[in-house]
Amino acid sequence: MTSSTAVVIAPTARASRGLWHDALRRLLRNGPAIIGLIFIAIFVVGAILAPYISPYDPTIGVLSQSRQGPNMTHLMGTDLQGRDELSRILYGARISLTVGVTAVFFGLIGGTIVGSIAGAAGGVVDGVLMRIIDVLLAVPGILLAIGIVAWLGHGEIQIMLAVGVSYSPMFARLLRGSLLALRESDYVLAARSMGASPLRILLRHMLPNALTPLIVQATLAAATAIIDVAGLGFLGLGPGDPRIAEWGEMLTDSSRFLQSAPYLILFPGAAIVISAVGFNLLGDGLREALDPRLKR
Amino acid sequence: MARFIIRRVLVAVPVLLGLSVILFLFLRLLPGGGPAEAILGQHATPQLVAQISAAQGFDRPLYEQYFNYIGRLLQGDFGSSFIDGRQVADTFLIRFPGTLELTMGAMIFAVGLGIPLGRLAARHPNSWIDGVVTLISLFGISIPVFVLGYSLAFIFGVQLHWLPTFGQIDPRLDIPPVTHFAIIDAILAGHWYVIDAVSHLILPSIALGSIPLAVFTRITRASVIDVSNEDYVRTARAKGLTERRVNSRHIMRNAWLPVTTVIGLETGALLAGAVLTETVFTWNGVGSWVVTSIQNHDYIVVQSLVLIFAVIFMTVNLIVDVGYAFLNPRIRYS
Amino acid sequence: MPLLSVQDLVVQFRTHDGTVHAVNGVSFDLDEGETLGLVGESGCGKSVTNLAVMRLLPQPAGHIEGGRVLFQEEDLIRLDESEMRDIRGKDIAMIFQDPMTSLNPVLTIEEQMVETIRAHKRVSKKEARARTLELLQTVGIPQPETRLRDFPHQFSGGMRQRVMIAMALALQPKLLIADEPTTALDVTIQAQVLDLLQRLAAEFGTAVILITHDLGVVAGMTKRINVMYAGYVVESATTGDLFARPRHPYTVGLLHSMPRLDAQPGEPLIPIEGTPPDLRQAPKGCPFAPRCAWRVDACWTTMPTLDPIDETAQIVTTGPKATHRIACWNPATAEEGIHAHPNRPGFTPAPPPAEAVS
Repeated sequence: MTSSTAVVIAPTARASRGLWHDALRRLLRNGPAIIGLIFIAIFVVGAILAPYISPYDPTIGVLSQSRQGPNMTHLMGTDLQGRDELSRILYGARISLTVGVTAVFFGLIGGTIVGSIAGAAGGVVDGVLMRIIDVLLAVPGILLAIGIVAWLGHGEIQIMLAVGVSYSPMFARLLRGSLLALRESDYVLAARSMGASPLRILLRHMLPNALTPLIVQATLAAATAIIDVAGLGFLGLGPGDPRIAEWGEMLTDSSRFLQSAPYLILFPGAAIVISAVGFNLLGDGLREALDPRLKR
Repeated sequence: MARFIIRRVLVAVPVLLGLSVILFLFLRLLPGGGPAEAILGQHATPQLVAQISAAQGFDRPLYEQYFNYIGRLLQGDFGSSFIDGRQVADTFLIRFPGTLELTMGAMIFAVGLGIPLGRLAARHPNSWIDGVVTLISLFGISIPVFVLGYSLAFIFGVQLHWLPTFGQIDPRLDIPPVTHFAIIDAILAGHWYVIDAVSHLILPSIALGSIPLAVFTRITRASVIDVSNEDYVRTARAKGLTERRVNSRHIMRNAWLPVTTVIGLETGALLAGAVLTETVFTWNGVGSWVVTSIQNHDYIVVQSLVLIFAVIFMTVNLIVDVGYAFLNPRIRYS
Repeated sequence: MPLLSVQDLVVQFRTHDGTVHAVNGVSFDLDEGETLGLVGESGCGKSVTNLAVMRLLPQPAGHIEGGRVLFQEEDLIRLDESEMRDIRGKDIAMIFQDPMTSLNPVLTIEEQMVETIRAHKRVSKKEARARTLELLQTVGIPQPETRLRDFPHQFSGGMRQRVMIAMALALQPKLLIADEPTTALDVTIQAQVLDLLQRLAAEFGTAVILITHDLGVVAGMTKRINVMYAGYVVESATTGDLFARPRHPYTVGLLHSMPRLDAQPGEPLIPIEGTPPDLRQAPKGCPFAPRCAWRVDACWTTMPTLDPIDETAQIVTTGPKATHRIACWNPATAEEGIHAHPNRPGFTPAPPPAEAVS
């Protein structure tokens, strides 16, 4: 038989246009992920536009109007000191956004550097770095952040560092694991056998694959970071300036009014939950979108 | 197997040592001057500072301080509280049972509800049941412990008056604190008192256990689905085994494994979360003690408590790892 | 009466991408004690056919759309699940390709074999254990008493497959379906395992359906072979006939794409051009047409039925006198079969009808 006898009848299939393009398309088809994006958008827009759309100054309270329930002049009511709750929620979003997301960023950078060195160097360096990470991981969860804030003192930067440090072990392990697995993987082997330089291998072959779990994890970490930052505020370890509106602190301040003014707990709580849900949904959506081998 | 345990213990030792160094330095490197100033805070006067420094040995060279520190630790001396002067170890033994009860209550809730929910969702993937379970899981990890705690307290305590929201037992019941385990003490004091102790445990356990619940649900679901697609499950069916047998001996026995690894990690989350939960429900445990100590600048207590938490966490992880090796024959016999 | 009679079996899978037409009307018979080979490339439907017989199609996607599966004159498709469970393992047994993943890693061999026996027979654990030892010995596991408490990962690949065979034959089923039993094994072990299968089948009088993509495997072991392509049986013959006188163009292509020891030096390997069809399209005409050098116009529009080559011959479906049947409008002649291309003056393969070309 010669090649002229074979006729190709190809089924119509949408051409694949690269990992990111396909991932984006998959993501946009994912309902819950879209909801997550909307929630995050509300949160981000609220935070950015807070100075412009807040009806009142969040730091100034009129004592005579304290502890009003939601009404026409104060859509979310007022707190103990007569400050408008809605404005405080909006400004609180700024804190959560900046501190929370930056903390994840710090953790990402720190963890990536350590993880890359460990994964790339191997041997003794790897061993030592991993022991240090183990020390950090020995203190469970938020306790590590609490300890660091107790040490560094109050303030936004301190919180960012504390929460960031408590996340860096996770990122370090993730990246190190990816690099180790990829170093031995078949397609890296194939690239090396074709004479590709180590740098090229790193950039074109290993990093894109190592990045995707990192992106997913970072998004999910943003959700936890918002919660952790609020948690620190709740425990009295927040930014420190009592005038600044921070969702966790707002909860602590209002805790004694659980019976009389429950909305003061409802609104900050709902704000935290909606933001966290948003990032969680987006993170899950990213995970499904970025893993082409995931069976539906 | 014994070698496995020994190896894990040996690895843990340098980690603990490293942690002790960091905590040791934590106390000595506090911002705002030396350790004595930090502890005293606003009450710092030169005489008091000198007094504290001499008493605690802050004026001695660092390495000497460290040796004394380790020496005392090994003898069970974790220092004493600056606020009430009592030994950390003593107060710990009084307060820890409460935290232990809370974490156990939360774990029972998380495992007891999480694993069945996960199995349920796995049996009906992509159905509305799965959707509901996924939603529960989503909110479990998105609602902070303290928000959930207050919400539960509001609904069940304030509005419905079904459950108490304050403390471990009704203070009007005069129950002598023998073991400091509210439930055991209640049983010892009188039969029906235990109901009160248990009712106080319910809301905090749910609040604290919500995150592990979400995690266990997800992991169980994923694990059961993965295992259900394995070849050996097909073989089991091909042998004509009943669906019940296939489920219990072939699917669940294998699906358990990833879940057990997570149990260890979630215990850490529980320990950390206890700090928040105890604050919300005014629980007299070690978690709230950490918070008050930080607020009161009682840094020696903070230093010791963090170390103790770490030791507990690492021990639990070790036990879970050993348990896993026991359950997984591929590790047991290799 | 044949032991097994599959009649016009149609199996489909419902997936996100559409319906996959895995099996499009397969029929074959099997006598007691007979060994039938089912040959074809990946995706041709050979495994799916047999999973359907066992009613083990992956749920909820897999679905038997039509046909009958008569086993000892009972239609298996009509049975309810508990009746089917009764048959599985006891009357019909199946062994799979990868023995490492086909055995439960957390249960000992003893546990897995004893549960098989006790699922179908009321015997004590001790009796089941004794029977297990017997079986392990029969399949050639050395020192079976010590190996009973071992886990699957402690056995080598070949040993594991022997254990699977032992487990399958524990209750002396009438039919054993072996789905690629040697594909995952080393070549030397392959021979041992096949030999064992053959010996035990003969000893117990078990009928065997041997599924494989490897013609070498079926050559030694089977008495009849069915060649499958894209969910159809395209040729059915005794083993000897198939190798000596292949008539369907696909079979011809298969035989010539295998390297052979007795080939002339320099004789080229002739691959079959093109790729298997996408099963997500409902079949139209013969699925092999795009790759076939013998195709005629009818091939593009209608799937031929499985008919005897000799039109006057009586159809015998089983046994050494089984009729050589093919599903083809324009089969290769015996001589063309040897040369692997058509040899008729003025013949060109029929071009596809206009809309089929991409």
